[in-house]
Amino acid sequence: MYYFDLAVTGISFGCMYAMMSVGLTLVYGLLRILHVAHAAVFALGAYVTVLVANATGSIALGFLAAVIVTPLFGMAIYRLLYEPLLKYRPDVPMIASVGLLVLMQDAFRIVFGEQGITFQRNAFAFKTFNFAGVTVSALQIAMVVTALVVFTGLHLFTTRTRIGIGWRATVSKPQIAASFGIDPIKVRYLNFAVGSVLAAIAGGLVAEMNNLVDPGIGFVVSYKALAIIVLGGLGSVRGTLIASLVLGLVEAYGTIFIGSWLDRDAIAFLALIVLLMIRPQGFTGARAA
Amino acid sequence: MLKLENLNCGYGSVEAVHDVSFEVPAASVFALLGPNGAGKTSTIMAIMGHVDIHGGRIVIEGEDITRRRAIDRVGLGISLVPEGRQLFSDLTVDENLTAGGYARPISRDATKRDRVFGLFPRLYERRSQMAASLSGGEQQMLAIGRALMAEPRLLLVDELSLGLMPKMVDLCLDALLKLKREGMTIVLVEQNTARALDVADQVCVLSSGVQVYRGTAAEAKAAGSMFATFLGIDAAV
Repeated sequence: MYYFDLAVTGISFGCMYAMMSVGLTLVYGLLRILHVAHAAVFALGAYVTVLVANATGSIALGFLAAVIVTPLFGMAIYRLLYEPLLKYRPDVPMIASVGLLVLMQDAFRIVFGEQGITFQRNAFAFKTFNFAGVTVSALQIAMVVTALVVFTGLHLFTTRTRIGIGWRATVSKPQIAASFGIDPIKVRYLNFAVGSVLAAIAGGLVAEMNNLVDPGIGFVVSYKALAIIVLGGLGSVRGTLIASLVLGLVEAYGTIFIGSWLDRDAIAFLALIVLLMIRPQGFTGARAA
Repeated sequence: MLKLENLNCGYGSVEAVHDVSFEVPAASVFALLGPNGAGKTSTIMAIMGHVDIHGGRIVIEGEDITRRRAIDRVGLGISLVPEGRQLFSDLTVDENLTAGGYARPISRDATKRDRVFGLFPRLYERRSQMAASLSGGEQQMLAIGRALMAEPRLLLVDELSLGLMPKMVDLCLDALLKLKREGMTIVLVEQNTARALDVADQVCVLSSGVQVYRGTAAEAKAAGSMFATFLGIDAAV
């Protein structure tokens, strides 16, 4: 049963990685920018969740506030940071992005303190259930269900609605899409808003899991998500989802086999290095830059 | 219907088209001919709004559109079948058509889609396939279909015959002639001079961005070898 427990852990972590990484892939696919500051968006989502949850006593309201505030922040990053820099080489906006991440981390530290903030009431997250010997926590169920709902919704939006189809058309051929009246600037805002909402949800869930939000919460995420989107084949949403689940499972099983001499993140990166040596183009191939 | 007046345009400070003027009457086919790099595609892309205009005017049905933004021009009734098709390759046939009609009310979408499928029944069979998986001819049909979804009055067609089997070229040109009979104005850029002269009412030859010949297709055909000299080496008239 232990192995099933690990599978549950791996899949729930994979779902979270997927929600935090897809925003990065979306930005890369559309603008060819490595949106490192996405980790700050994720951290903001976590902070807003915990602050509003503590202020109102409702975790649901915390998440609601996060998915409203965070996309505004994501769109502001596009408008104020990336748009003026798009005429330069892609490493220029990337460096600006790293700068914003560092700035935001220190801002969180100054405003909310080094120690971070905990939930005052977070009983729900640690409730566990037993299914035929396999232990599952309420939070793990929440992670998997949220990811399923969110990605099903995203799939329906991008294949069944005209705005969603226009979005994909713009990613495919921006100038031609504009010839048919699809405004590329609006698509960029949509892109940042959607990616940021997913990151905010992931941020709130990670905050619940750790029962803590500290200034460094986005840090591990920043490089792990970068590795995931490279492994997924830069710009491919499907590849990112696969890579996220693979990474979640590798970490979960890795901790029992080699966990005594390597920590969880080191295992993840060892696996990424090995996988990239085997498939340098990532899981989905063609789009690798 | 379309009038270019002393158009100078290009990319950045590089000028690709110098002082080109012509007029295209409504419900006619106007062929832009000339060798590679003559400025044919630049002229078309200037009408579509993707090229920097350095001087001159572009007028559609009396309205000066020279300074209008590219994304607004589709609403004026201009639509593009670009060189190399430029389909949204990881979208399905149906989704490509949806994207084509983006600027128009969604309520008219189904009717237009049926019309496109009526024109190209092959597309109907392939409607849920990815555009990238279509044959060259089918891709060209889809590019035309996508452009029609935008409800154009002026259709700009760039290098229709490029890389297509002769049978497919015939099929696509027949479709254009049918559209013309229904009242569509068409500007056709072609390297295949012979086929272009078959369908065109008027022709204009560009060379190094300058207009070197203008006349009716019948005159151009009659001029024979003299007309060919304007076109350089690939002039099998």
